[in-house]
Amino acid sequence: MRNVVIHDPTLRDGQHAVRHQLGVAALGRYAAAADAARIPVVEVGHGNGLGASSLQVGLAAVSDEEMLSTVREALRHSRMGVFMLPGWGTSDDLRRALAHGADVIRIGVHATETSLAERHLGVLRDAGAEAHCVLMMSHMASPDELAEHAARAVGYGAQAVGIMDSAGHFLPPDVTARITAIVKAVGTTPVIFHGHNNLGMAVANSVAAADAGALIIDGCARGFGAGAGNTQLEALVPVLERSGFATGIDLYALLDAADLAERELMPAPPVITSMSIVSGLAGVFSGFKHRVVELSAPAGVDPRDVFFELGRRQAIAGQEDLIVDVVAELSARKAIR
Amino acid sequence: MSLTSEMDNARSHVAEPMTVAVIGTGAIGQDLVSKIDRSPVLDCRLVAGRNPESAGLRHAERLGYPTTAAGIEAVLAAERPFDVVFDATNAASHRDHWRLLEPLGTLVIDLTPSKVGQMVVPTVTGVWAATGRNVNLVSCGGQASVPIVRALAVRFPVTYLEVVSTVASAVAGRATRLNLDEYVATTGHALTAFSRVSDVKAILNISPAVPPATFRTAVQARVSGVDVAAVRAVVDPAAEQVRSFAPGYEITACTVVDDRVTIALHVMAHSDVLPPYAGNLDIINSAAIMVAEQHAARLDRVSWAKVAR
Repeated sequence: MRNVVIHDPTLRDGQHAVRHQLGVAALGRYAAAADAARIPVVEVGHGNGLGASSLQVGLAAVSDEEMLSTVREALRHSRMGVFMLPGWGTSDDLRRALAHGADVIRIGVHATETSLAERHLGVLRDAGAEAHCVLMMSHMASPDELAEHAARAVGYGAQAVGIMDSAGHFLPPDVTARITAIVKAVGTTPVIFHGHNNLGMAVANSVAAADAGALIIDGCARGFGAGAGNTQLEALVPVLERSGFATGIDLYALLDAADLAERELMPAPPVITSMSIVSGLAGVFSGFKHRVVELSAPAGVDPRDVFFELGRRQAIAGQEDLIVDVVAELSARKAIR
Repeated sequence: MSLTSEMDNARSHVAEPMTVAVIGTGAIGQDLVSKIDRSPVLDCRLVAGRNPESAGLRHAERLGYPTTAAGIEAVLAAERPFDVVFDATNAASHRDHWRLLEPLGTLVIDLTPSKVGQMVVPTVTGVWAATGRNVNLVSCGGQASVPIVRALAVRFPVTYLEVVSTVASAVAGRATRLNLDEYVATTGHALTAFSRVSDVKAILNISPAVPPATFRTAVQARVSGVDVAAVRAVVDPAAEQVRSFAPGYEITACTVVDDRVTIALHVMAHSDVLPPYAGNLDIINSAAIMVAEQHAARLDRVSWAKVAR
């Protein structure tokens, strides 16, 4: 059996599904349940990470500092993770998170923009924190490009590096090719895979990643996440175990944590809706869904067209402001016809 | 408002040209050198970088300007101080440069988000250095958003402001990438300074899209009781003013949903050396050049022989 480390961003990435409205009580209870299941890392924050609460992507119900102190308080065994996007959060946010007891800090950058993480990976290295670098929207880059950028991130000080399938676009062979290339490029540095379930492939993609040598796999309780959700944690863990990977997680406690998550974190577990399939096919970040739907209907345009147009424009996470333009343009085009 | 009225009224004579130096040879530095090249009143005497192999130094050489890889030291070693030094390096370096340049009496025009000097956003502040000799151009997002933000805040009771800018990866140089923290802090500082709204947020996206995405900025404001027509009535004239020096500045969408006003705009570069998507460079550098030209006019150092070409 090879060990893999399960990284649980339920309380961070799941926030996208509830417009960043998780309250203090829910955060504390899920963190305690995850801790009881011995999940190695519990990540918390606004869905877009430290400092990201905004009109652009949604205002959080709870401040970063309150989220972090709540989860820190609830964790006995698990380590606490946070996430940050350069240009959204800053080094001050990182220092505050460290002061609040964050153990694992992930810097997210678009797949081919690793140099945006250089400064912050340096700050974390100097602070002696465990720094990860994750390449988002990785379907937009080739295996070779991802390998090159992963190696660069390690050069900047990342102690683990990997990819997010932010749009839920990958099929297992895509993941195998990318993780294989990255593992080859970064040697002994642990490689991360973070799946989304738009096309129903998240668990299969995660197993493909582990088979190809990924050592850190992300999963969320009930798949809690934007759109069709992330890799479903309580399915991922036993599937990995049956595939020959040791996670160190207690199955019953994990299932209990997932049940608690369904009761306390979400109105309903994510499902693969027609819109999620379209965003996965279009290669657009699932987090765009709410705003696409909200703006399309009054303008009389088909939200599916909006997704495909956003995909054509290669919109990346954080560019939610483009939706207004695309809806206006499609609406104008329709008026001409 | 005519931003160049003072220059237009300057006495017609041939005087010593305004000597300028540029420190920094990245994306911003290169475009600055091209703009200086086309300025009738600015005479580029030195382009200083750090890396002898940099594309920016080659570019300056091709235009026939003296170059050096000795950075600020070469600028300080000049026989006579330059009238104007443009600093297109990075925020941390600018703090060091300013300490060294301040005693020389040079006007320093800072294109980094250092927050050191007097902030200039042409249509809001005018383009002269009213106090001191260090002028700061805020940031590309600041140049694009402050005119709109100011127009909104003067007219409406704005309670929150948020500015999200997107720059094409191809024109986001290394200094920009290392200075995201300073970008966020300095742009936020300018938003508050020019709107008096204390609750503000600035965000920067770097877009890797191919073909590259045109520089864009979305301003979101919380204001109750406004409609699109009322918002348009104040932001359209503000945009018109910006077009006097950045012709590619255009509002692309204006919406009001409940108390949330969104104004999306883009800036196309109108330049013979920049790709059209590089509006981020065009707007901040055009503003910087205007500051230098205005300074020349005030010092009566406009060479009208060059103007007459």
